Amino acid sequence: MQGQQFPFVEREAERGVASLAPMLPLTLVGARAVAVAGLLDTGAAINVLPYTTGVELGFVWERQTTSVKISGNLSIVDARAVLVSAVVGTFAPVRLAFAWTKVDTVPLILGQINFFLEFDVCFFRSRQHFEIRQAQRTQ
Amino acid sequence: MSLVELLPNIHSLPRADKLRLIQFLAQELAEAEASPLLETGREYAVWSPDRAFTAAETLLETLRSE
Repeated sequence: MQGQQFPFVEREAERGVASLAPMLPLTLVGARAVAVAGLLDTGAAINVLPYTTGVELGFVWERQTTSVKISGNLSIVDARAVLVSAVVGTFAPVRLAFAWTKVDTVPLILGQINFFLEFDVCFFRSRQHFEIRQAQRTQ
Repeated sequence: MSLVELLPNIHSLPRADKLRLIQFLAQELAEAEASPLLETGREYAVWSPDRAFTAAETLLETLRSE
């Protein structure tokens, strides 16, 4: 499987290079399709979806019954489990599970469960790009 | 005041003050040359759910039960 390259992007224009981060452009598909940029966070245990993005995808908070308990620095945030299809570059669509939060102060985070189960990523921060491949299942 | 004018005064400083001066200059140079990655007094939110393993289990179960 051929890898696809994406650039690190500035998250704050006035901070320039100091704010460069691996922001992956992707399209999430729920009841509606939404183009987003997700922060690739290898230290995050889970994918996190901000509230407004979930609403744009067509989710209704009261109908999402699976509560997600987030510990650590997001422990004060109420969250629900949601599943969406995701299209990254020209790769085949994958299913991603998100902790949909009740707040918009969190970025869209792509974490270990389950973004990094679906994609292998190499970071080249010194060259300001990263490369993604669809994960090869061993089983 | 130029360095040439300062040097006699620096020369006459006691040893402890000379060390403090070295420390002061080193710190000032380091701060001037450091990139503004982190600013003193500014708050930086860290949102990464780095130990949300219970949530990770819930998401995996949600995927399996789809």
